[in-house]
Amino acid sequence: MKFAANSHLDALCGEYLLGTLRGAARRRFERALREEPQVALHLRRWEQLFALRYSEMIGIEPPPSLWKRLDRELQLSRYRPRWDRNLGFWRAWAVAATFGLLTVMAVQLFPTAWFAEELTEIARLESTDKGVTLQAELSKDRRTLRLRAPRPVIAGPAQSYELWLLPAGGGAPLSLAVLGTLDASLSLPERQAAGLRTGAKLAISVEPAGGSPIGAPTGPVILIGEIQT
Amino acid sequence: MLDNHDIKRLIITTGLRGEDSAAAFQALYKMCAPLLLGVARRLVGRRELAEEIVHDSFTRIWRSAESFNPTAAQPLAWMVTIVRNRAFDVLSSHDVSRVDALDADAYEDTGDGLFDWAADPEQGVSQQRSAQHLRDCLAALQAAERQSLTLAYAYGMSHSDLAAHLQKPLGTVKSWIRRGLANLRGCVERYMEGA
Repeated sequence: MKFAANSHLDALCGEYLLGTLRGAARRRFERALREEPQVALHLRRWEQLFALRYSEMIGIEPPPSLWKRLDRELQLSRYRPRWDRNLGFWRAWAVAATFGLLTVMAVQLFPTAWFAEELTEIARLESTDKGVTLQAELSKDRRTLRLRAPRPVIAGPAQSYELWLLPAGGGAPLSLAVLGTLDASLSLPERQAAGLRTGAKLAISVEPAGGSPIGAPTGPVILIGEIQT
Repeated sequence: MLDNHDIKRLIITTGLRGEDSAAAFQALYKMCAPLLLGVARRLVGRRELAEEIVHDSFTRIWRSAESFNPTAAQPLAWMVTIVRNRAFDVLSSHDVSRVDALDADAYEDTGDGLFDWAADPEQGVSQQRSAQHLRDCLAALQAAERQSLTLAYAYGMSHSDLAAHLQKPLGTVKSWIRRGLANLRGCVERYMEGA
């Protein structure tokens, strides 16, 4: 039977929207909606008249598991940007980021040989009274020079320590670094690294804060030692 | 107030099946799932069944988003219809005792607390006006008719649920529903023609 010709079509549309049309009768009506445009048009008219809007006050927060299930079952990861597709990526990213942060913090907090390359002692700088010995160590690639003091030695507020290279064949001292403390790790430019060879000397002088104003030692040399490589 | 314009945009992006579709669908869910769960909860009376209905409905929404016609339907109404239809399927296939499921005191017979009668700026003037007419016409119905329609619409009560809840013969309840719907329609149409 054609629903469009049914004298109860109005009542059926109303009860369908209301929800009192149930079971087999509801399914028959839905089939008619698909197959008979007149029925669909009739229902559309009813929908426009009977446009009740629910109040948001009746809302209930669904449990998080409901979304997770939908996400998984519908395989929604296929419809995310490539970098955002899987949890594994973010877990790996979180581990890498944490490790990176810890490394940066550790290097800043513990600037010791833990994170440096293997170092070889090249000189022992001694004070004129032999009271303090400063160890100078050089990395394998000759680009990192590390000074290791037996105890913290910190320059006074108006002073700096300056590390000098006294070339093996003589000549003017070459400033390697201005230091606030004798415990230090320096990156050396290639030209300076080339001068760190047997016969040359390393020396520490006491200079005004910020280092020698003239590019040569102006204060007393407190530590000096010959390089042996 | 849920914004039909936003909902429409999210449904369309969901239906495009691109890299933004999952994010749009998730935003749509976040925005609308609480209301839809509230609707389903009232229709079937049980929380766990209501959650199943919302799950099934969002699965349907995901699959139908591609063919959603934004000019033919108000997007929130479209989603509510999906939830309601799924709830009626569940009510037909489960032995759900409507009357016992909710405390009798929990039923709101007038619909004032269930429905939003405020003007929706997203809707056209004629739709805002028809919502106002609907409210006036519901109020103008006989109390028994209004109560039957509200309980059926909001709480998914079948004829027999209503007969049990209102303690009236089935035939009486059916006739209240039939007359109530006819009177409601006639009243709204009269308003519309006079507008």
